[in-house]
Amino acid sequence: MERKHFLRSFAIAAAATPMLLDACKKDSADTAIDSTGTTTSADTNAGSSACRVTPTEVEGPYPYPGGELKNPLDRSDITGGQTGVPLVFNLLVVNTNDNCNVVQNARVDIWHCSKDGYYSGYGNQNGKSFVGETFLRGYQTTDAKGAVTFTTVYPGWYQGRATHIHFEIFVSNVLKKTAQFAFPENISDAVHTHYGVGVNTTRNANDGILGNSATDLANETPSLTGSIAAGYTGTYTFGIAL
Amino acid sequence: MSKAIIKLTYKQIIDSSSKTDFERSILSASYREFLLKSQAYNPGNVLRTFSEMKNNDGRANSLHYKLSFVIGYFIETLKNKIPVLTDTLGNSINFEVPQMELIESDITDINAHKVAINYITSDLLLLNTIGEYLVLSANNGETTFTVKMQDHLAISSYQPVGIATSNKQNVLAA
Repeated sequence: MERKHFLRSFAIAAAATPMLLDACKKDSADTAIDSTGTTTSADTNAGSSACRVTPTEVEGPYPYPGGELKNPLDRSDITGGQTGVPLVFNLLVVNTNDNCNVVQNARVDIWHCSKDGYYSGYGNQNGKSFVGETFLRGYQTTDAKGAVTFTTVYPGWYQGRATHIHFEIFVSNVLKKTAQFAFPENISDAVHTHYGVGVNTTRNANDGILGNSATDLANETPSLTGSIAAGYTGTYTFGIAL
Repeated sequence: MSKAIIKLTYKQIIDSSSKTDFERSILSASYREFLLKSQAYNPGNVLRTFSEMKNNDGRANSLHYKLSFVIGYFIETLKNKIPVLTDTLGNSINFEVPQMELIESDITDINAHKVAINYITSDLLLLNTIGEYLVLSANNGETTFTVKMQDHLAISSYQPVGIATSNKQNVLAA
């Protein structure tokens, strides 16, 4: 893809909750003005054993307005207004080098295409552009049980790829796993027929990325229960060798 | 001159020398995300800069939009008003689409982190030019204002009104 196409793609939605930038400003408690108008410094504490310079630190990773540590994609429901057959994923992250004990505080990133096969965030997809949109993207951090839950819709498909969902898992800010889910084809075919987009012409076994072997394919396909009418629930355990 | 439908793009470059809360927030949030997301294009952690990653694997260009998601909340605080740029009366100018661009970065040095936000206006009617000033109309002629051409400001879309009409006629005639 040409660079200009990428450059056209990075638009961000610019309509929603207004927030106060002021809330993030450093407070001014380190100086004070006394009744005579003289500025005094609260840092001065001569004669005390506590007289030392406080270490300077960087301003932190996510100083969002209001002070909350909140990335717009930090969300469990990633639907973002997209329609489709409801899909809930209950996911676990475990460490295969530690008897598959659960991994806490792992960041699990998820993204996938819409029922019509489009990704949010960039343009030039069959002449359509979804710049400024963030639908079907998000991340969660695993809880004490190593679990995260995502609510979304069953993905559609696009030319050249089997039906799939992308994942990245970060542990202590280090990318430990890049993965993709495959889907049971009988369910995908029924859902895609329901969507009116036809069955995916790239079958799981023919996909250039999924399933280097039948074992791999089976190991990256979550088990699903449910129906088109009621929606599907998927469970899967990410095994990571930490 | 003939009238034209144009879009203006103003490019705000944000780097370690930037001072406002908005700029510092954009810089910090996008750098943090760069540290995470660049790892996919940095096998073995042997590369340092965004340029090196792009040279090594063109897919690193997806960092432009991958980083853009994280700054969405800050963009919202602008309420669609372009920061810095105003018309000749000091009134702010609205943008329709913000596009983020990762110019350069370095996983070992936030001071090398540099991004740009391109603020793109909706369609404006260019009524006339007076020297380096553009006389523009928005909201179907409801508002008329004047903007000085300056560094980091460009006309990024230009459709002469007359020619567009004659093209349409040609298509109909054909």
